[in-house]
Amino acid sequence: MQALRARGLVKRYESTLAVDGVDLAMPAGEVRGLLGPNGAGKTTLLRMLFGLVRPDDGAIELLGRPLNAPFSIPLEGTGGFVEEPCFYPYLSGRANLELLAQLDGVDPGAVVDELLARVDLHGRAADRVSGYSTGMRQRLGIAAALLRSPRLLLLDEPTSGLDPVGARAVAELVRELSAQGVAVLLSSHLIGELENVCDAYTFLRHGRVVWDGSADRLAAEAPASAFTLHTSDDDRAAAIAAAHRGVRAGRSPRGALAVAVGPEGLDGFSLALGQAGVAIRRLELLVSPLESMFFALTADTEATLHELGPHELAERALAKA
Amino acid sequence: MSAAARHPDVPATATASPTGAVGRVFATERRKLTAQLSTRLLAVVCLAGPFAFAGILKVQSGTPSDSLLGVYVHSSGFAIPLVVLAFAGSWGFPLVAGVLCGDMFSSEDRYGTWKTVLTRSCTRGELFAGKLLAAMTFMTALVALVAVASVLAGVLLVGGQSLVGLGGALISPGHALALVLLSFLICLPAVLAYTSLAVLLSVATRNGIIGVIGPIMVALATQLIDLIGKGVIVHMLMVGSAFNAWTGLLTTTRPFFGPLIVSIGVSLAWIAASVAAAWRLVRSRDFAGTAVGARVGWVAPVRTVAIVVAVIAALALATDLGPVGITRARLTASMAPEFNQVTLLQQQLIGRAVPPDATFYIKPNCFKRAAVSVGPGDWTCTMNVFLPRPGRVAFERSPVDYDVSVASNGCYKAQSPPAFIGGQTMPDARGRSVVNPLYIVYGCFNVL
Ligand SMILES: Nc1ncnc2c1ncn2[C@@H]1O[C@H](COP(=O)(O)OP(=O)(O)OP(=O)(O)O)[C@@H](O)[C@H]1O
Ligand SMILES: [Mg+2]
Repeated sequence: MQALRARGLVKRYESTLAVDGVDLAMPAGEVRGLLGPNGAGKTTLLRMLFGLVRPDDGAIELLGRPLNAPFSIPLEGTGGFVEEPCFYPYLSGRANLELLAQLDGVDPGAVVDELLARVDLHGRAADRVSGYSTGMRQRLGIAAALLRSPRLLLLDEPTSGLDPVGARAVAELVRELSAQGVAVLLSSHLIGELENVCDAYTFLRHGRVVWDGSADRLAAEAPASAFTLHTSDDDRAAAIAAAHRGVRAGRSPRGALAVAVGPEGLDGFSLALGQAGVAIRRLELLVSPLESMFFALTADTEATLHELGPHELAERALAKA
Repeated sequence: MSAAARHPDVPATATASPTGAVGRVFATERRKLTAQLSTRLLAVVCLAGPFAFAGILKVQSGTPSDSLLGVYVHSSGFAIPLVVLAFAGSWGFPLVAGVLCGDMFSSEDRYGTWKTVLTRSCTRGELFAGKLLAAMTFMTALVALVAVASVLAGVLLVGGQSLVGLGGALISPGHALALVLLSFLICLPAVLAYTSLAVLLSVATRNGIIGVIGPIMVALATQLIDLIGKGVIVHMLMVGSAFNAWTGLLTTTRPFFGPLIVSIGVSLAWIAASVAAAWRLVRSRDFAGTAVGARVGWVAPVRTVAIVVAVIAALALATDLGPVGITRARLTASMAPEFNQVTLLQQQLIGRAVPPDATFYIKPNCFKRAAVSVGPGDWTCTMNVFLPRPGRVAFERSPVDYDVSVASNGCYKAQSPPAFIGGQTMPDARGRSVVNPLYIVYGCFNVL
């Protein structure tokens, strides 16, 4: 059974075609990153999955159960939030969670305390939500999403507003849940945070899926990564790079040498440096494969990945770096 | 976020029945409402308001004589809840319905919490039903609170004396208490109709301000429309028409139930229509987030106001439709036995032995001032009383003029200049000052 299946989803807001024929499938335990520039339709897609907005076309199945037109099926087993989580400001964080537990028919007793501790809010649980910071509200939203032990978790920018510790904790949590068989769909702009968490990615642009595949496939297909390179002789290294096919070199803003190189190109380039007697002192990842994929796919141009040559893509990765 | 994850294989959500889900929504809604300051204030006002009203009347001598049975607030504790009810029906209950329920749905828009509650284990239908149930339950509780508080205030601060009914006859304390409580019960459908209307406004406009003041605006429009028009149709079809229905029960000369049955039916129809419309809106709605909030500008409120003004204008124009409710014949037929009744009451109070079924020979003559004699407004009734004169053949005719203001629901207040029948108070047989039952006479007749 797929945790999530969506076929041909379309949503139009007045003149905007927010989602335009999206297919999505997730097996249990998969962590999938949903990527796309602002306005790509990520939130709208999640809203449709939650039954908050009515798709103009298409079909949705959550945990094997179809989400039908009148949205009369309660979202048993599906948790999460879209955009920033919202709560009743006149109630405390704890009261809000208790209220949602009550709606779910869950005994709030121990669960609420456990979750408050888990998202590091137990110290402020008795305060009214109106006095919470953005990050605290985000933490409360994560606690609310976990309240009924979901088997499918849909999270819209879960780390937005979180401090680095909190963001890392979310990543750990997601991996932990995935190990237990929970399917997690994560939408985010913070690519770095997705990189080590996701098993698969879906890229959206203008409401369409422009790339969909596993993390491994992405690493193989990613146009180019960019690195800062510190060598014993940067000028020679730059000259070698210029001569090497599939490698682009330039200077980073702080004067260091930056090279953009596709997945296969790095081996040859480093060997060439060695043969020329240039020692590599440090190689730092500047633009990851995922980022370069994101830049490539979300560029203003309508061209698809395959229409752009590796050269062009490397150029772009470097430009963004 | 370090504690071990809970085991997801254990389904935390029991497969609850749909009524169970509605019950859960109801419970959360109850919790939210009781946590809100406005709800607590309303409960305090409903509880303390009647006591404050009775207390103020106790320390000052004035009477709210324009309200039905208002002159009797010092002489029977049971007049207090009825005056409170008349006020509550015109203003109080619509206001309470607006404050309690007019923001119940729009607040979810304001706080952005629709998405929070709609992504839990309950459907839209269950959520709607649970919220509606909470609204109705809280309103019913507040009406009960006002009823109990005003009866207690009356009985404790004024006393449990017999009450002069709308036909001029005395109603025993036990009977009066039952009628008072029944009157509050009869108003309940109208209260719930206003509640449903508040819910509809809240859902339709997604604007708490319109939801909260909408019902009181409807009440205001009702007050205005009740001043005009001679037809019964529009008046009977107003949301709050059942607020007048209790008067038929307290009419001692001849109780009537027609308007009561019709207006309760009208209330139920309002409830059904408002709830159905609100549900349709919630059911078909997209919860598409903050863009909606951004779009709330002046367009929606202006459109709402325009629609409301058009509806009020149309209603005002339509008030003449249908059978005429207030006619000369009906007023005359009501005034004559009532005048007879209050005259007997006055004689009893003074201490004269009058057989309880004694009748005077009265020929009333009513006409509307400066207009054709139909419809609500200011009337004049001349009661020609023919008193037997001992030793003579002819009767002595003594005319008593009453200024009668008749409301469109068929209730009237008749007041006579003191020259004819004495002042507002008079000494009774034991020399105590009592209300002169002839000075101001309240009555009602069936307009259907
Ligand atoms: N309520 C709405 N009314 C009208 N248009 C909307 C609404 N919500 C979204 N849109 C439009 O739909 C498109 C997709 O928006 P959506 O919020 O899904 O994008 P997103 O990928 O979540 O963007 P972001 O990264 O900024 O969160 C946008 O063009 C947006 O303008
Ligand atoms: Mg978004």
